[in-house]
Amino acid sequence: MDIKKKKKKITTPIWRYFIFIALIIVYILPMYVLINMSLREVTDIRSRLYPPIEIKWDNYSEVLNKSFFNSLKNSAFIMVWTVIVEILFGSMAAYGLVRSKSKVAERFASINLGIMMIPGLALLVGTYSLMVRVNLVNSLWGIIFLSAAGGLPATTFMYMNYIKSIPIALDEAAVIDGASVFRTYISIIMPQLKAVTVTRMIMTAIGSWNNYLMPVFLLQKKSKHTIILLIKSAFDSAGSVGNLPQAAATCALGLLPIIILYIFAQRYIIEGQIDSAVK
Amino acid sequence: MEKRKRATLYMCIPALLIIVFFMAFPLINGISVSFYKWNGYSQTKKFIGFENYITLLTDPVFWRSLANTLLYGFGSTLLQNVFGLLIALYVNSKFRGRNFIRALVYMPIMISGFIMGQILYYFFQYDGGVMNDLLGILSFAPVYWMETGLRAALVITLVNSWQYLGLCMVIYLAGLQNIPMMYIEAARIDGVNRFQEFFKIKLPMLMSSITTAVITNLIGGFKLYEVIVSLSGGGPNRKSLSLSYYIQLLYFNDEKAGYASAVGVALFFMIFIISWPINKYLVSKVEEY
Repeated sequence: MDIKKKKKKITTPIWRYFIFIALIIVYILPMYVLINMSLREVTDIRSRLYPPIEIKWDNYSEVLNKSFFNSLKNSAFIMVWTVIVEILFGSMAAYGLVRSKSKVAERFASINLGIMMIPGLALLVGTYSLMVRVNLVNSLWGIIFLSAAGGLPATTFMYMNYIKSIPIALDEAAVIDGASVFRTYISIIMPQLKAVTVTRMIMTAIGSWNNYLMPVFLLQKKSKHTIILLIKSAFDSAGSVGNLPQAAATCALGLLPIIILYIFAQRYIIEGQIDSAVK
Repeated sequence: MEKRKRATLYMCIPALLIIVFFMAFPLINGISVSFYKWNGYSQTKKFIGFENYITLLTDPVFWRSLANTLLYGFGSTLLQNVFGLLIALYVNSKFRGRNFIRALVYMPIMISGFIMGQILYYFFQYDGGVMNDLLGILSFAPVYWMETGLRAALVITLVNSWQYLGLCMVIYLAGLQNIPMMYIEAARIDGVNRFQEFFKIKLPMLMSSITTAVITNLIGGFKLYEVIVSLSGGGPNRKSLSLSYYIQLLYFNDEKAGYASAVGVALFFMIFIISWPINKYLVSKVEEY
């Protein structure tokens, strides 16, 4: 055993470091190119592999204008409410399905898979014409409920898997103490699920921040644009008359909240994903 | 007790209402529209039965998009599973910086597919694209990455696989960490080599991870949309469209809402017909072990 270990230490590093460096390049390069583009003069059209001739920080300060902060606000509003609606109602439904031992609960894995197979775009015509009819075009609440509806089945499914592993004796003790169903759920069950709830909240928040499909068609008014739509229109106009470095700066700034969140919560997110993949 | 059971079930009501109103209702609405000729905004629509579905059979753009969708689904699944598993094995061994690599490979998942496509658009341009610059440094001739539909579709598959590789990595990491060490140790005492260890012990024990990874990637690939919009715009000449993207163009550009709905229904059935049996088969494999 000892000899083997020593042998390993000598033979592995070469290919291991090679993979290490290759992965870093392949995964960092797009970010490098984006930041590089965002710091250039418009006239600097050399290869995007080389750093800017002169660093122009003004690209950033120039895009930090009223419409940027407005779309930041819209994105944050949608994000917060989508998280609340999806997590609260999803976990409630999971609790209801598991503890009432309904037949739906047994088949929920298949139901969830079936719903997963419905492409968002297949719903486009039905959704859009419905939203026009009920006057939810250009409404942030329309987006909130649409994305919550899309995420609810998977969230419910995940919570069901965790609630199943909580002993039912806890519920029974709460019943004896006279706790209502909602009370049992909120003060007995949910505290057991703090870790998964935080992971799920982060994932839902990121999904909401990145949402493109429904906002691009439903939020047509500029004042209702989310950050993703702002980035889109910045790049769209960069293609014709606009300013590509500024579009890249808008993009980098729009990604910043997500990247910061990821840097701090990265371990939590990945461990959480690993944990729920095993469940 | 019966009363309490019912009260427990009532906890599902808010979620159910949202799903019915914002998902089931649009779904039914969409399916019914597929039997009409409708431009998407006028007050009148004309019932035409299955005509939209018949048009579908002879529409070359539909078939092209269907073929692309299959490529996006199967191609991404293949690439993501092979490389995802390899990276999971790599990250699962002990070395300094493994957590950094793990975080790095997972990072693109945090970024919107649309934005990622937009950034990588500047990689695959002919003039001044980063890929051609790199080829230039290695003194190769530049390549028209988006010249033909097939080439664009391959670039899209590659980008999509690269972006979501981390998902597979995480699923396989979970599986690898769940293999009891004693099996591997026992095998090592018996003197198996690394390949035998992987193919005879680890791989069979990863069956349930493979199921999750294959099904998730397959469905994700069949639904591919955002990255195509920003990377190729469906071009050249609508030759790299996925069915999802085709639906959107039919509805908003061509004003054929009824036909777009029919394509949507066809897409759902395509996903269902392919994914359901594969899922069944893989699940039965899991039970064997």
